[in-house]
Amino acid sequence: MKFGIFYEISVPRPWEPDTEYRVYQNCLEQVRLADELGFDQVWAVEHHFLEEYSHCSAPEVFLTACAMQTKNIRIGRGIVVCVPQFNSPIKAAEVAATMDIVSGGRLEFGTGRSATWTELGGFGADPDETKKTWDEWTRIIPKMWTNERFGYEGWAFSMPQRAVLPKPYQKPHPPMWVAVTSPGTELDAADRGMGSLGLTFGGFQEQEKKIAEYRRRIKYCDPVGSFVNEQVNTVNFLFCHDDNEYGARTGQRLAGTFNYLAEQLLAARQAYPTRSYPNLGLLPALRREATSSPEGQIPEGLAIGNPDRIVEVIRKWEAVGVDRINFLLNAIETVPQEEVLASLRLFAKEVMPKFAGTREPAGATAAGGA
Amino acid sequence: MPLTGTRDLSELFAAAPRVQSLESERWELPGAQILQLMYELDDSAMTTLIPPALHPTIPPTLVFTVTRVPESPVGAFVLAEARVGSRSGARPRGLLLRGYCDSRAAVEQLGARWGYPLFEAACTLEKRYDRIHARVSTPAGVILDLTLLNPEPISGNDLQYLASLNLARVVRSGTESPRLVQVDSDYVFRSADRGKPQLDAFDAEAWLLPGAHLSHAVSASFAVADVTMPVLRYLVDPAKRPLEAVERL
Repeated sequence: MKFGIFYEISVPRPWEPDTEYRVYQNCLEQVRLADELGFDQVWAVEHHFLEEYSHCSAPEVFLTACAMQTKNIRIGRGIVVCVPQFNSPIKAAEVAATMDIVSGGRLEFGTGRSATWTELGGFGADPDETKKTWDEWTRIIPKMWTNERFGYEGWAFSMPQRAVLPKPYQKPHPPMWVAVTSPGTELDAADRGMGSLGLTFGGFQEQEKKIAEYRRRIKYCDPVGSFVNEQVNTVNFLFCHDDNEYGARTGQRLAGTFNYLAEQLLAARQAYPTRSYPNLGLLPALRREATSSPEGQIPEGLAIGNPDRIVEVIRKWEAVGVDRINFLLNAIETVPQEEVLASLRLFAKEVMPKFAGTREPAGATAAGGA
Repeated sequence: MPLTGTRDLSELFAAAPRVQSLESERWELPGAQILQLMYELDDSAMTTLIPPALHPTIPPTLVFTVTRVPESPVGAFVLAEARVGSRSGARPRGLLLRGYCDSRAAVEQLGARWGYPLFEAACTLEKRYDRIHARVSTPAGVILDLTLLNPEPISGNDLQYLASLNLARVVRSGTESPRLVQVDSDYVFRSADRGKPQLDAFDAEAWLLPGAHLSHAVSASFAVADVTMPVLRYLVDPAKRPLEAVERL
């Protein structure tokens, strides 16, 4: 089991001149501490226009800053929106390779397609086409990295032969992931030999079924990259405190705040009827499942409470087949920074050692390192 | 926390329908034709159209819905709504402050049972193979004219309709209170289409939506569905903050 931290970078109103600055500095401080404490990965999303919920529109910049301030922690681009109105596949390959070089081969490359009308409409993207362009890009970007020169005539993208430079430091290339929110996308990941970067918080039972099917399907995959990245990465909330009741209460406040913000988003399906977004991505349902519980009880799958409880929760995630857990640490600064840092320290001291035997060294993925 | 509305609705309640009983029975509306267009609003209307109990969508949105009901307990009618996209706490909703209907009996019954704040007006919905067109006219003129162009079939599963929050005066224990009545109808789709939205007339004042300037067309859909008007389950006190505003019946 590997542990990471995960950033949406949510910024509370009122937006004073230095609010975003303070939030970003808090995040960077958390990342530096996480690196010192032995966390394996830090992931940052790419979102646009999502007021308060996520002010992380240039994750490649944030993650490069993370890399420059740390030594070991891997940096997860989670995710590159593979939609031409948002990004160019050439530029995405170039930026990723540069991040991999300057970080010394620490990049994890996530892919996805956006799920809100706020973003898709803002960029003038056609919701019908996002799955197709994602599929095309995931096949060409690894070739841009590994072929000396690359040319392509495709459906949504074409280019004459050029050398896409630089090449990644990790050989043959960084591990590739797919953001999984819509049901069935974990199977898309499996079929393409990519890691499943789960962005929902479903309970054990729901995840166990998905992971089992992912493992079964990936055995027969046709990998889009040069290797198969068979790993299941999930997202969770973390608030670790000696006092279980206080830890759970604070953690539930964190989860509740995050979910409330998430529900404010205008999902693509809510605005534009399309088969490309067959439902809300299960996001609301899974989040509700994960954060609701009978009165007085802590939702089963959340890593909140005292170290003993969190160890128990993670053992269950491990048992259902999860390889990595990334933790959301805060939402619109609802938890004071000192408490976030203390939570990370306590987790590293009391929880991480319990899983030391099951953890591979950072960077040693199915890809191999640099 | 998310933005909330700033509009004081108290002056609007005088003309809102009175809901005498909250124990409404379901109505089955077979074969209803539903034309729906969504537009983004200019952000000057982000918070000014909705009360403090609601969060705006980001971007702010307006949803036009014209429904032709061929069969109901009060006979056939055409209902036209212009609802402001919003969130009641974490739930997506459409705020209806004024709608129009071509049947006096439907105006009365939809108002008394589900709090629909309706006025009588000439409402039409015409389905053709190249377009679906709707128009609402009052003696003052055309207040809504909208069209779905070039319909193409989709699955009804691809559609998602908003539950309504209707401006009404709710009578409980002999006391009348201003409330938003939540109406979350059920839909069983027979067919569905989508197409290009086109709006040729919209008089925002006539829908009690002053300052609602449309900025960007989003989508247009048309469906034929069996609709079930529900039993009431929730009310919203518009003056309260979102997390305190919802009352379960």
